[in-house]
Amino acid sequence: MKKKMELLFFLLPVIVLVALFVYGFIGWSFYTSQTDWKVIGETGKYVGFENYKILFSRDRTFKKALFNTLKLSAIFIGCTIPLGLILAILLDLDIVAKKAFRIVFLLPLSFSFVASASMWFWMFSPEIGVINSFLKLLGLGFLEQPWITSGDQSVFCIAVAYIWQFSGFATLVYYAGISGVSEDIREAARIDGATRFQEYWRIVIPMQKPATLTVLVILLMYSLKVFDLVWLMTGGGPGKSSEVLSTFMYKTTFSRNFFGRGAAIGIIMFIVSLIIILPFFIRRGESDYE
Amino acid sequence: MKKRIFVLLICVFLLLSFTGFSSEDNELVVYHWWTAGGEKVSIDALFEAFLEEYPEYEIVENPVGGGGGGIMRSQIKTMIMAGNPPDTFQITYGNGMIRSFVSVLQPIDDYIQDFNVPQEVMDWGTIEGNMYGVPLNIMQNNCLWYNIDIVEEVGVEMPIKTREELFQACEKIKEAGYVPIAVGAGMGQSFWLGTLFEAIVSSYPDGGQVLRDYYAGDAYPSECSVIKKALNVMADLNNKGFINSDFSALTWDQAGQMLTAGKAAFFVMGDWTKGLFDASGAKPNVDYGYQSFPGSDGYFVGHADCFVLPKGIESEVSKKWLKFLTTKEAETVFCPLKGATPPRLDAPVEGIYDEVSIEIMDKFRDAEVLKVLSQFGAPPESYLSLFGTAFSEFMVESEVNESTLENFDLTYEEVFLY
Repeated sequence: MKKKMELLFFLLPVIVLVALFVYGFIGWSFYTSQTDWKVIGETGKYVGFENYKILFSRDRTFKKALFNTLKLSAIFIGCTIPLGLILAILLDLDIVAKKAFRIVFLLPLSFSFVASASMWFWMFSPEIGVINSFLKLLGLGFLEQPWITSGDQSVFCIAVAYIWQFSGFATLVYYAGISGVSEDIREAARIDGATRFQEYWRIVIPMQKPATLTVLVILLMYSLKVFDLVWLMTGGGPGKSSEVLSTFMYKTTFSRNFFGRGAAIGIIMFIVSLIIILPFFIRRGESDYE
Repeated sequence: MKKRIFVLLICVFLLLSFTGFSSEDNELVVYHWWTAGGEKVSIDALFEAFLEEYPEYEIVENPVGGGGGGIMRSQIKTMIMAGNPPDTFQITYGNGMIRSFVSVLQPIDDYIQDFNVPQEVMDWGTIEGNMYGVPLNIMQNNCLWYNIDIVEEVGVEMPIKTREELFQACEKIKEAGYVPIAVGAGMGQSFWLGTLFEAIVSSYPDGGQVLRDYYAGDAYPSECSVIKKALNVMADLNNKGFINSDFSALTWDQAGQMLTAGKAAFFVMGDWTKGLFDASGAKPNVDYGYQSFPGSDGYFVGHADCFVLPKGIESEVSKKWLKFLTTKEAETVFCPLKGATPPRLDAPVEGIYDEVSIEIMDKFRDAEVLKVLSQFGAPPESYLSLFGTAFSEFMVESEVNESTLENFDLTYEEVFLY
């Protein structure tokens, strides 16, 4: 009993802080989202779900931002997971300069978002960017693109930067997963005549489900709340072409002073994240229990 | 023993995290967005002059650059909402912008005695009979800057008098392989398209009054012929390739540097551009020239930067700071370096400002020239962000039709009705 009390004593500050600063403020944001708060220094009056109604009916940017967030997440995750897996397999194979490659693959992960956003911004610049200059140098000038200045390509450009930054993380998780596959099983497969491809395709990759789930959940969490890269590369533009929920929430709250509506966007982001991520956690919890 | 020290350290960190940091009595905590180039030099000189006058005080400066002050304003809002405002901070001077902050500001009428500025300038900062900011520098927004070598090479006669002449000049410049008009509205700064827009509006005979009505919420874009004509001009400039195609990837200063680098002939931007050009070593009337945007000679579309006094700030130093800003001395230290016009009509001019600054100053002091508050001061703060996005969207399609006008109308309602 004394030990339990001691444990509770040490846990109590954390419980109180998490309850206050995480769940308390989610509750506060939910309340704020139901006010018409528009004046700095005041709190606005209660308007129920009016802000949510406006966002889903009248606000033309919100739907675009929601769509872009999901589009960016789909491109990002759809490319990062296979890329991470392929790179991890390459590392697992006995390639030359394996350690050097491991560092090369992981390096982008250590970059701050600000640094990588600036770098990719300049690379995608249509007039002086490295990509178009390189294409010109190779005599492929006809392939030059407007990149981040084009409404059709801006989300794609951001996704490329995001994939580059996170592929190292996916590689790391998959490499750990592959290293965890028992050598006995792999050897047994080889004795049974399995080729290298079959060994990976039939044994190693199917055993990466837990790693995939980890990568998927973490990448989803990052992509649904992406802000830095979008803000620094395009600012949500041109027009609204690359606006995502987080940049739209920032603009609504701080540039337009619709504090209540900004909080509503935050709550919607929270709910979208829950809807997408919660099933994975539940499934994971069930499989852990099994 | 080690455990105890560890627990003690954690307790200290926890306590520290709950501690607020407030300014001392002899400190002036200032927030502004002048972080680079001529702007930084001028604010540094101003601080120095203040400390010379009041050596007993100390200045705690917090420069927050980016987004034309937008990033700093966001930070200030969170500080105010947390009940921890700075002693004073910078905002653009104009009824609309000040109104967005007025709920958290104190009137400053007591500190602006004998402030010899035009009545219009006083009105820009007055809300319901009270002044809320000390204007420090007047800026003209409807300027056309040009690269003298390029216009001479191509054979364009300056100054250009009309929009038609401007289009003809752009055609020639484009044929000669230069970018006719440099625009930079990227990196979250799409509101600079609004500067081009208001310059074009001001080139119409009744453009000044239209801008006043428009920024007061009384002129719906789809119902105002001048606004529609101006949008058509913007679309034409874009569709004819007279604007650099990468404008949405450049900041305003990067676009300005296209002019000094000899890549672009014209640049439509406020007179703070002069500070940028001068800092790059370019000489006025030698390397670059200035005129009001063609056709807009009768209007001075402008605004100012000002410092305000947040509610709850009672320190002597903040009041002395505001009083100091109203003096000729402060304006004379700050404005020449910043490339701006001093608001005071009795501020000395001779031997302090160059030809271009004096030309702009004369326009400001000419009672015949109608002063129109720009997008940075007249409409509510949300205008910059909402219309920045709307203009940026418009430039993608660059066509004035029912759909684009409806988009502008809805944006207008968002700014002025909701």
